[in-house]
Amino acid sequence: MEKNKSVLVIGAGPAGLQASKDIAEFGYRVILVEKNSELGGAPIRWKYHTLAPDFVPTEKVLGPLIDFVKNNNLITVYTDSIVESYEQKEDFFNIKILNLKSKGVYNEKVSAIIVATGFEHFNASVDPRYGYGINPNVIGINELEVMISNGKVLRHDGKIPKRIGFIFCVGSRDRSTNPWCCTVCCGVSIKQAIEIKKIIPDSQIYMIYMDIRTVGLWEKLYWQSMENYHINYIRGRVGEIYWTGEKLLVKGEDTLVRGPFEALFDMIVLAVGMEPGEGTKQIAKVLGLKVNEYGFLSPRIPNIHYDSGKDGIFLAGACVAPMSVEEAIGEGSAAALQAIKYSMRKAKKMP
Amino acid sequence: MTENNNEKEERKGKYIIEREYVEDERIIEPEKLDIGGVDASGRWGLIVLPRVIKDFDHSLIDEVKKLPRGKHIERCWQCGLCTSVCPVAHKEPNFNPRYFIYIVKMGYKSEIKKLKKYVYLCQGCGLCSEACPKHVDPSGVMMALNILFDKV
Repeated sequence: MEKNKSVLVIGAGPAGLQASKDIAEFGYRVILVEKNSELGGAPIRWKYHTLAPDFVPTEKVLGPLIDFVKNNNLITVYTDSIVESYEQKEDFFNIKILNLKSKGVYNEKVSAIIVATGFEHFNASVDPRYGYGINPNVIGINELEVMISNGKVLRHDGKIPKRIGFIFCVGSRDRSTNPWCCTVCCGVSIKQAIEIKKIIPDSQIYMIYMDIRTVGLWEKLYWQSMENYHINYIRGRVGEIYWTGEKLLVKGEDTLVRGPFEALFDMIVLAVGMEPGEGTKQIAKVLGLKVNEYGFLSPRIPNIHYDSGKDGIFLAGACVAPMSVEEAIGEGSAAALQAIKYSMRKAKKMP
Repeated sequence: MTENNNEKEERKGKYIIEREYVEDERIIEPEKLDIGGVDASGRWGLIVLPRVIKDFDHSLIDEVKKLPRGKHIERCWQCGLCTSVCPVAHKEPNFNPRYFIYIVKMGYKSEIKKLKKYVYLCQGCGLCSEACPKHVDPSGVMMALNILFDKV
């Protein structure tokens, strides 16, 4: 085996899959390590129905990537596995991969490493205001996405919710939890609100927000939702949610009228933010990568995401910063090129 | 006579701390109140009604949308450009096109009752409609609201 012609990719989400595909198409071997048993990362694990902003089915974006990775001879996939340790030799890395289920240990030699370990959703039960996990019908956007995928949005008692509220920035932009913006939750929540409106046309939907941050072309979601789907926007924050035994009493302030409101909702959806997951923390420890004050992997120069600051190790996707699927795919591609460039240099095929 | 009335108005709720934040309508101060032989007149019987918005009522916005110049009210995202260019709003603080659109959109009925006497101040100069980034046509909406508030 040519030790200078294989690349380790850690994480099989959008970034990792795209990186694996690109590297394999260059004729390099890929060792793809995924902690979960399924390929596809967050969009597959949480059954994303469609992707913002154009309602493209998730399978249409990730399906071809997953199929390619599964069927390509150059790509070796280790699912349910983590990278346990690594050792840097002169022009290659010795990698030890641990299978979490069978406890089997595999050794590989690679010339470059791409870290694409992604994110986890914020656990809303950390913030006691919303009573997530205690009040029925207070759910996260990830749970709602599963409901939308199944084509049925229902309350815990099987009834169809008529008045639904979305609370933005849960576990985001908040010093007591996570101070960063998750960048996609506004767009994703609005996308979901439109999808609910399509499933339950007579529902009333309220978005309780601080700011709407639908960046770039995602802005059209915001416009569409107001103009074509009659979704209401309330500027303010929610202080408390009570379960009355039948409905949820939401207390908050409408800052545009400078008045507190108390309204009953059938269902509340929390736009939970992104945070670095266990996988990212574990890999940072194993590879000795620099981590910023928020726990995300820290590139050498903040504006150049792929450069980890360590020789031969490249970063891609939401382990560096919160980002959308389209950005993660782009970053995967960028990191793949860097990894190939690095490997070619090591093999003295390139100056 | 009018002087007397003014005095009465001033006395209403005068023991409330930070009185300026409480609207007169929300203060109930009975002149004479007898509870089981105990005199609870004046400040002893004082009740301040809560100012909590209890519900959203979208019946009004549907009416506005039916009127030819009110049909784009839903596009409003509350940037406030209409109010900032409005020459009337600079004179009369209770005239605020952005705010009118919002309370109608959310159906805050008590606010509508309070403010409906100001909507007619719109001169129809159209500066707001020219400025509006989302083509809501606020001056048209004001016209539609005038028609509607007559009925409310």
